[in-house]
Amino acid sequence: MFVPGFTVWYSVKSIERTLAFYTEKLGFEVLFHNPEWGMAMVKTNTEGCVIGFSEAETVEPSTSSTVFDVADIEDAVSKLKRLDVSFSGEIEVIDDFVKLATFADPDGHSLMLSEQLTEL
Amino acid sequence: MSKEQFVLQLAQRLSGRWTIPILLSLENSGGRFTPLQRQLDIAPARLSDNLKQLSDAELIHHLTPLERRHPLLPEYKLTEKGKLYREAAQAIRSSEARIGHGALSAKAWNVPVLVALNYQHGRFQEIRRVLQPVTPRILSARLDELHGEELIVREIADQPRPSFVYELSSLSAKPIETLTADLSSLV
Repeated sequence: MFVPGFTVWYSVKSIERTLAFYTEKLGFEVLFHNPEWGMAMVKTNTEGCVIGFSEAETVEPSTSSTVFDVADIEDAVSKLKRLDVSFSGEIEVIDDFVKLATFADPDGHSLMLSEQLTEL
Repeated sequence: MSKEQFVLQLAQRLSGRWTIPILLSLENSGGRFTPLQRQLDIAPARLSDNLKQLSDAELIHHLTPLERRHPLLPEYKLTEKGKLYREAAQAIRSSEARIGHGALSAKAWNVPVLVALNYQHGRFQEIRRVLQPVTPRILSARLDELHGEELIVREIADQPRPSFVYELSSLSAKPIETLTADLSSLV
């Protein structure tokens, strides 16, 4: 039924501000950008997984997180902090399972980093 | 409400710089704020205000972020009443195109005055009565402007006492007659 591919969509206040965050800070690549229509997509570094953005007059920050896997969470957090990404709270550890760090994009949409501590 | 009252009210509701442009462009910008704003080249705060007024008048429905299941889906949709008003907006646009004096509906009371003249209300007090709540000052300014643009003719009548009588000019008569019929068919 399903084919490989996964998209997350967010409403955002400004496409330009959002793209600057996702490309310059998170290092993703723009797949598509139409300023007239206020929409864009970025490629994550997982094949077939993309994030889409569409401008809206009113934006509710999303509380459900998109979680990105990283190899070394301490290293990733400090890299992003140097780029002025602000994290809420410290790195949280779920013993023998995962380490998590929560941050937000310019519209307050919740994002997370995760480092797996065990093979699933 | 008589058909005539309805038509005059419709013409009045559809005046203003942005009312008709928004109603006509809403759907081809996917009902979304950004495309609409770019298409109309309007300041965002101004567009928000206008959309708020149209929502209050129940011509459009503002979907909450929770009602929108996807960020690409419309933020605003025309209501049934809004669809009717869009038809009327199209009729006004095409009569403006035939008259060739720009967007007459951008200024309040221009189109209602012309339509009132089409209904044979030719004297100042009569026009004022059918177009209430128009103020005498605004009405007199509009009549002067329309006269200056040769869209109406002003004549002096002696009976019952000397006063001005206004009529549509040869330039506006046909298009306004068609417009009145079009608006009237929407009742």
